[in-house]
Amino acid sequence: MIPAIELRDLTKVYRTVRALDGVDLEVPQGSVYGFLGPNGAGKTTALRILSGLSRPTSGSAHVLGNDTTLHPDQVRGVIGFLPDVPGFYSWMTGEEFLRLSGRLFGLSGRVLDQRVGALLDLAGLSGVETKVGGYSRGMRQRLGVAQALINAPRVLMLDEPTSALDPIGRRDVLDMIAGLAGRTTVFFSTHILSDVERVCDRVAILHRGRLAAQASIDDLKARHGIHKVRLTVRGPARELAAVLQSAPWATHVEHPEDDCLELSVQDLAAAQVAIPREIAALGIGLRRLEAVELSLEDVFVDLVGSGLP
Amino acid sequence: MTGLAGFLRKELLEIRRTWRIWVLPGIVLFFALTGPVLARFTPELLQAIGPQDAGFVIEVPDPTYVHAYQQWTQNLTQIVTFALIIMLGGVVAGERKSGTAVLMLTKPLSRSGFILAKFVAQSALLVSTLLVGAAVTWGVTWAMFGEAPLRPLGAATGVWLVWALMFVALMLLLSAMLGAQAGAAGLGVAVFIMLSIPSAWETAARFSPAGLLGAPGRLVTGQPVYLAWPLLTTFALTALTLGGAIVVFNKKEL
Repeated sequence: MIPAIELRDLTKVYRTVRALDGVDLEVPQGSVYGFLGPNGAGKTTALRILSGLSRPTSGSAHVLGNDTTLHPDQVRGVIGFLPDVPGFYSWMTGEEFLRLSGRLFGLSGRVLDQRVGALLDLAGLSGVETKVGGYSRGMRQRLGVAQALINAPRVLMLDEPTSALDPIGRRDVLDMIAGLAGRTTVFFSTHILSDVERVCDRVAILHRGRLAAQASIDDLKARHGIHKVRLTVRGPARELAAVLQSAPWATHVEHPEDDCLELSVQDLAAAQVAIPREIAALGIGLRRLEAVELSLEDVFVDLVGSGLP
Repeated sequence: MTGLAGFLRKELLEIRRTWRIWVLPGIVLFFALTGPVLARFTPELLQAIGPQDAGFVIEVPDPTYVHAYQQWTQNLTQIVTFALIIMLGGVVAGERKSGTAVLMLTKPLSRSGFILAKFVAQSALLVSTLLVGAAVTWGVTWAMFGEAPLRPLGAATGVWLVWALMFVALMLLLSAMLGAQAGAAGLGVAVFIMLSIPSAWETAARFSPAGLLGAPGRLVTGQPVYLAWPLLTTFALTALTLGGAIVVFNKKEL
């Protein structure tokens, strides 16, 4: 099967900056694919090339087999795209913007009516008569996802769809993305690992324009120890740190405070059983044990350390 | 031309719903209404504000419909042209800056379609504004002077329209090229001034678009006008500029 997205040695240079440096990536059809990386990693550049807004300096980008530079019309016909900061006509209502979007895809009549109605419902914007200029950031982002779906795209590309949203707005947008699983290929960039964990089945990590990893979420967790545990005990934790350091499920132990430890663990369940046992054996006393959500930096450190340029 | 019809519809709706419906039509209608009135009462105004000393006489010819038409053509070739240039400075740059171009151009709307739709919509606004403005000028002139022949007014307005359409295409090019409304408008004004200079030189005026700048005034006063080459070169320049806008915009990364 042709990949939904295929990048081959994709390089983009802006004057002296290599925004993308020989990126090879394949996104299978039907997957919900997370494109991870810190700000400035090159995610937006890659998405702009894929959507035909920008051209590669060298290498190629294909969407469903169509080269984005040579056949941009074919690409635009099969994708839905949401940029990081979507710009809407402030004088339009959300419904009018969706109708405009649909007409650009040649939709009309009952099909357009049904599509617009369904997407307004999905975005929670049914009955909202306010002009887009008066929308909150969350409403704009939900409308952004809705307009990207107007053509029932075979590949949906979303650039940082949850950034700068409040928790409720973020949950709503993630729910919309999760609801598309199995119906279309979703390729979305983010720097929030928990978003990826929540809705993606595969992930690629981009760092300084280069691909650090691409794998399924399960593989990534299995390969790179993807849990973190914070531990507070009664009394000094130095001896406990030494014991836990040698545990097979622990990949890294930090000792930030006298009575506190932070552990990177590959097997959270095993850690949750073993840690209280070791504490009891040492007779220290446990005050607090919590699983901590990993930041992107934690994954990077665990995945590639300081090996990246 | 994929997406052209849908985007053109949006352009026309945008004109109707935003400040665009007020600015150019407002300016043109204001001059259409006041031009003939001003022409009719200028002699009295001059007499009233002039020195009242005995023996001082201001010789002003009796006003006619020609003076009203001259007001109309002067306003078109100067103030309305400036307004058009400033208004269109952001015609492409504004969509790039606000991010709306990105959402439109990642759908089946080609960049050629984007530029052409804007040209058609702005031209439609210009044509309809001029039709109404010329009709109002004609009506008020007739009311003021009891005489208002259609032919010179129609010819002068039509010639200015050709000139203005060239500026619509030019502003699309500059706005696509520079990406900043102020820069595009400034360069547009510079082009206008550059074209104004050779309009005073008869050879240049006879064979280039510069000839269209003074043509409306000559048409309403019944002076001889050389229109063939100026019209031909203006049409050619309009087509070239529009093509240039498409080429430039196609090469831009958004």
